[in-house]
Amino acid sequence: MSPREVTGEAAGEIRQLVPDIETLARRMADVDYLVDEGLATSMFLSLRLPQPLLLEGEAGVGKTEAGKSLALVLDTPLIRLQCYDGIDAAEALYEWNYPRQLLSIRLADSRGETLGEEELFGPNYLIRRPLLRALEHPGPRPAVLLVDEIDRADDDFEAFLLELLAEASVTIPELGTIRATHPPIIVLTSNRTRDLHDAVKRRCLYHWIPYPTPEREVEIVRRRVKGSSETLAVQVANAVSRMRDSDVQKPPGIAESIDWLAALSLLGVERLDAAAVDLTLGSVLKYGEDQEVIRAAGLEQLVPGGD
Amino acid sequence: MTDAREPDAVFGVETIDLDLPLLVGALSRRLHEAGLRITPARAADFARALTLVRPIARRRLYWTARSVFVSDPVQVNAFDAVFVSVFGNGGRGEELEPEDARTVASAPDHRPESERNVARGGSEPPDGVPSPRTGERDAEEDQAEVEVPLALASDEERLRSRSFDALEPHELAELYRLMSRLELATPRRLTRRYEKGRHGEHIDLRRTLRASLRTGGDPIRLARRHRRVARRRLVMLCDISGSMEPYARAYLQFLTCAAGSGPNAEAFVFATRLTRLTRALASRSPERAIQRAAAAAPDWSSGTRIGDALKEFNDRHGRRGMARGAVIVILSDGWERGDPMLVGREMERLARLAHRIVWVNPRVGAGGFSVQSGGMLAALPHCDALVSGHNFQALTEVADVIGQELRSRRGSPAAAVEADGEEPWASATPVQGSSVAMPSGHGPSRGRTTPGWVTDDAE
Repeated sequence: MSPREVTGEAAGEIRQLVPDIETLARRMADVDYLVDEGLATSMFLSLRLPQPLLLEGEAGVGKTEAGKSLALVLDTPLIRLQCYDGIDAAEALYEWNYPRQLLSIRLADSRGETLGEEELFGPNYLIRRPLLRALEHPGPRPAVLLVDEIDRADDDFEAFLLELLAEASVTIPELGTIRATHPPIIVLTSNRTRDLHDAVKRRCLYHWIPYPTPEREVEIVRRRVKGSSETLAVQVANAVSRMRDSDVQKPPGIAESIDWLAALSLLGVERLDAAAVDLTLGSVLKYGEDQEVIRAAGLEQLVPGGD
Repeated sequence: MTDAREPDAVFGVETIDLDLPLLVGALSRRLHEAGLRITPARAADFARALTLVRPIARRRLYWTARSVFVSDPVQVNAFDAVFVSVFGNGGRGEELEPEDARTVASAPDHRPESERNVARGGSEPPDGVPSPRTGERDAEEDQAEVEVPLALASDEERLRSRSFDALEPHELAELYRLMSRLELATPRRLTRRYEKGRHGEHIDLRRTLRASLRTGGDPIRLARRHRRVARRRLVMLCDISGSMEPYARAYLQFLTCAAGSGPNAEAFVFATRLTRLTRALASRSPERAIQRAAAAAPDWSSGTRIGDALKEFNDRHGRRGMARGAVIVILSDGWERGDPMLVGREMERLARLAHRIVWVNPRVGAGGFSVQSGGMLAALPHCDALVSGHNFQALTEVADVIGQELRSRRGSPAAAVEADGEEPWASATPVQGSSVAMPSGHGPSRGRTTPGWVTDDAE
């Protein structure tokens, strides 16, 4: 159908695993990641077109989890590249193991052997970083490459990454060109600390993950905190939803809801009240000012029967 | 999803297979008109996506199209409006008249909006599109040059000290030329990347090993590397409220120059709300950039809510990383309509994130200035420098303050003399002839501009 379409077995397997959007959504739910129709559609298209998927959203809405769950669904390794300021090819793609090379040279020397350059720059001395591992993944299905928080890397790295992903191959001067037999499924996440280059956006499918509705959040947190009571989960979801609407600097994400529910369950709290909120506020709100804002508004506001 | 009301639907769902090219074409065109960036490749992707996803319901079609076409959350509103205008709204909420939806309901994205506004105003098409009117614009520019035939030295001198609130239009054009010569270089910071350097503090194993092969495996010469340095981000926040109106045009030119000074600069304007201008200003033609910027901000010359604007900046941009380690320049007279407490609180937050904060207040240049406005008073403890910037001469001082390296000033005699004053921020004293009277107890309390080495050097 298109030049970018993966052909052969791999594509067949993916098509079989994910024949349509509903199946994908169901399989994601099986691994405890609930997707709405928008995210399911984006993911489906990303798998089948195939095209990298760029996920954005507030911190803690489950962008990284989406990539992890996708790998689980496809039963394929997740290769994660955490980006940071100043990340470069040596940390993302490959590097030679210099200490080992130096040692080998000395060792060979003491034995009176000579170590040729071909040996020294052979696969044994290559440290494979995430991008190379993703390209070299032998199959049978492509690996899921999660490029996390790409906005933290700098523009140069963005360009480098794009080039690599478009080609699905990399040239190591000493070894030659390594071409991916199974080009990875790529999920990029960004927290929007800076605008990504248009070239990146042009090549990706895009989805903004919003905060879930309280009902959906209850389902999500209960799946993550096993054995938690539904009443408590509902109360937590409602309280968190109110916090998001209030004037806090860092609105709590789903991750915080999960942490909070886990903390409350651990403490044996059965029903959320002001005292329990007071004790555990630190697991939802991580800024002193935010806690003050919420306390000033009254903790009773967050618990049922308050208002 | 059932569609009871569908008077405007151009394409029925059942006919999609037949009308695929038509559908893709129509939607792409409408989206393009609404200011989204639609390339032929995108349209082709959409066509392919439709063959993969059976659009059995409008909702499915909606999400498919949105995945492909939308690449920024601010585009969602515009996209929704176009989608509704093409396919009807099928109970998706608001009843939108298609035509209105296409032209009125717009995304908070400033760029498309400004582009469209400007385009409607009959001046410039969006950038990148060859314009048949380019010739005309050139003519306009020529005209401007006729008015100011030659920048004579004396004229330039006069202009340098001319207050921004008393400028003639042709002087503004000339001023732009002066401003674009200003070098706005922020201080450097170490990045995590390395580059080779003879006196680097780290050993570059890769090159050392390479070299050692030539000497029989003995690393005789150690290759070195050091951390690469990069310029800090520059973030400019400009007040465009009523009280700042006389300066707004000149400052907008300044912002344009700053935004053009490198990829690492961001520009915002605020009065009652905050508008990000970085994209609008990213144009090679300053005239067009300023037009776009003017169209992008809806609150020109209205009241000032500095506290709210700062809060919005902190919440939406600063905290996420834009302000972290950056040099923040705020251009405002500090006249606050809202609560000065909020200004203080948000400035404190900003100060925790930023490398340094420079406040440019044109009123400082006026004789007998003293800090009286509540907003300014509240902000002052958190500023590293207060400069006047009321004329070009003063703006060069702003550029100097922006570029000040806090530590690298050591050893520079000029800097030592400059920092010799007792005021911790003497280095940022406004232009000669103006005075800054500070109420006691309101000096800047941030120690960062007062390097402890001053006394060392003096001895």
